Amino acid sequence: MLLRRFGLTGTIFTFFFIIQEAVVSQLNFPAGGFSIFLILTLLWAALSTPEVAAAVGFGAGILLDLSPSTSGPLGHWTLILVLMSYAIAFFSYGDENLRGNPLSVILIVTLAQVIVLVSYLITGFLLGNSATSFAQSAITIVGSGFWTLVVTPLMLPSVAWLHDLAFDSRMRI
Amino acid sequence: MRNGGENRGRLLLVILIVSSLFLITLDLRGVNVLDGLRSGTQTVLSPFQRAGNVVLTPVKNFVNDITNLGRTRNQIEDLRKQNQKLREQLILRKNQDGEIEQLKSILDLAGTAGFKIVSAKVIAQGSSLAFTRTITIDAGSRNGIKKNMTVISGDGLVGVVKEVLANSAIVMLATDPAFKVGVRIAGSQQIGILAGLGSITANLQLLDNQTTIKVGDILLARGSVNAQPFVPGVPVGRVTSVSNAAGAVTQSATVKYFANFGSLGVVSVVVRAPKTDPRDALTPIKPVPTPIPTVTVFVTPSPSASPSGN
Repeated sequence: MLLRRFGLTGTIFTFFFIIQEAVVSQLNFPAGGFSIFLILTLLWAALSTPEVAAAVGFGAGILLDLSPSTSGPLGHWTLILVLMSYAIAFFSYGDENLRGNPLSVILIVTLAQVIVLVSYLITGFLLGNSATSFAQSAITIVGSGFWTLVVTPLMLPSVAWLHDLAFDSRMRI
Repeated sequence: MRNGGENRGRLLLVILIVSSLFLITLDLRGVNVLDGLRSGTQTVLSPFQRAGNVVLTPVKNFVNDITNLGRTRNQIEDLRKQNQKLREQLILRKNQDGEIEQLKSILDLAGTAGFKIVSAKVIAQGSSLAFTRTITIDAGSRNGIKKNMTVISGDGLVGVVKEVLANSAIVMLATDPAFKVGVRIAGSQQIGILAGLGSITANLQLLDNQTTIKVGDILLARGSVNAQPFVPGVPVGRVTSVSNAAGAVTQSATVKYFANFGSLGVVSVVVRAPKTDPRDALTPIKPVPTPIPTVTVFVTPSPSASPSGN
């Protein structure tokens, strides 16, 4: 059962990772664009238990760290996504008012996306990564938040369905 | 039971955090296995990126046409009159023409300087969410490309090869915040350091406080030891504004790159530098405005016309 769950989850995440790298990254969206892979990870975390969210965040972080366009050290995205995925699941798990409401989930994921990018930027700075200008970073972060707000509602039904498929969680949003 | 579950969850979280920190430590210490993992991912992703590029090229051209609506309105009007098949062919042809044009200008530049180059198509762009600016090209070590080689377009400097695989390579663009290049001003030969800002402009810091810089000055790459990572003489950009901050030790300026990073289709990697420095031979010529002819009409009153009009 555990093998099936994580095998299916791994396949889904790998598929979205390839789509992100091969398609979404190639389109020059204004203000930095968005990452369907990050949105998938955060949505998955919002629908899972804290333990599963942390494990999924770890796997997703490893994949993002292996992305050729990542400049930070291996483990950087992993650390950020483990913490953020656990935090999202910890605050939303058991609160059906929060999880049952699509609007809440969308807002949580958008806020989490912004926090993830800010955390990545700050920790990257501490780890010695070269920092882009403040204005450019601000545009990327705000733009990414906007795009996440637009894209998350489109992805939510399919991600909830895939999550149901993998975990038989009977989650209905 | 509930308490036990929470403890188990926290233990898992701690294990995962420690694992992440362990990976960061290994990476920062330069363990080669981890570099190999990233190269492996790029090797796996390359075919998908190529396929994605092929599929997305018409879409990108379409979006590009829409964003340039004001400039290409007449062209779009013409295209609307044609059927879907012809429109698709035209867009594909336009893309090929653009690549040929880019390639031609690169060859002109490389020929003037005496560079030996390897041309390559841009097959992917790095995600800007990682706060880096990179592209992936479809030529690698099998084509003679090595790390730290200069990458140029027909307009000038594009970046430097950051990572090389068998059939592809990752290029750090000059717009990347980590990018730095030694430059000199064409003509006056004053030197400075140009640093990327994550946008189409860059920051120039002059090294000598006795020298001055003015708007319109053209910057050329100064060149590195053994021409790596930078070959000398490559046009870099033009000064657009000069900062004269009181108390500043040296002058600084904002520079706009010559290369158009938004439409990179074909680029070239300089695999061998010329034996002699081209000096200012590659300095772009300023565009000369086409003179508009003035039509002067002389009107001579007819001698037969009377003031009364009869």
